[in-house]
Amino acid sequence: MNGPVAEREGLDEAQAGLAPSEFADLYTAHSRAIYYLALRFLGDPQKAEDATHDVFLKAFRKMDQFRGDASWRTWLYRIAINHCRNLQQSWHARHLFTNADEAVWENAEAKADSPLRVLETKELGERIQKALDSLPEEYRLLLLLVADEEMSYEEVGSLTDQSPDAVRGKLHRARKAFAVLFKKSS
Amino acid sequence: MKRQTKLTSTGQHQLHAAEQQTQEKSALEFATAEELLRYDADHTTVPASIARRLQESAATLPRPARPWWRRLFKK
Repeated sequence: MNGPVAEREGLDEAQAGLAPSEFADLYTAHSRAIYYLALRFLGDPQKAEDATHDVFLKAFRKMDQFRGDASWRTWLYRIAINHCRNLQQSWHARHLFTNADEAVWENAEAKADSPLRVLETKELGERIQKALDSLPEEYRLLLLLVADEEMSYEEVGSLTDQSPDAVRGKLHRARKAFAVLFKKSS
Repeated sequence: MKRQTKLTSTGQHQLHAAEQQTQEKSALEFATAEELLRYDADHTTVPASIARRLQESAATLPRPARPWWRRLFKK
């Protein structure tokens, strides 16, 4: 992108939180991460597109509130997570999760560290979505955030309101649950 | 007849082996869920329409305020 906002006339660094070219750079650097989170969190490409647009628009409007306490990506993720959660709540599409479900995964044969195989790349997205859709929101979000190499456990913990140690602990269960569901989806 | 059956059987075996080899070549293997998701993310294309819509939407907004740190450090 050569700056959807960058091309906006009359907006310069002195007037905006970021110079137009800087906002364009922000979009270029983080749009894939935000779109992917929205896509796999919401499970619908059109909703993900709308959500990504809304997240960056919100970021554009609230740029003056960014204080640099966290990275831009963490800040954008926070907006995206809140936005996606609000959307899900309004659609009454929240996934109910019980301890009984967790017991099923704990006793399942698949191991968290066993390799996940897939034959066709085109099938991959569908299988991943199927597995993620069956996961509780907490696990889904954790896996999506940890999969981003730019995110540390500390940052993931901050976004999910828990300590880095709690992230590590839950991540093991999330991996195992995902492995079971992914294998079932083949 | 018996010989033909044997050839057919061998041919089928070769075909099966070739199919298996093709499958093995196209098979992707990931050690963890994160690795799989990372691969998926890398192969996900962000629709170009988002950037266009963002440009249109941003054009209708009032200009964002100048942040405190720019007010502090820059004229």
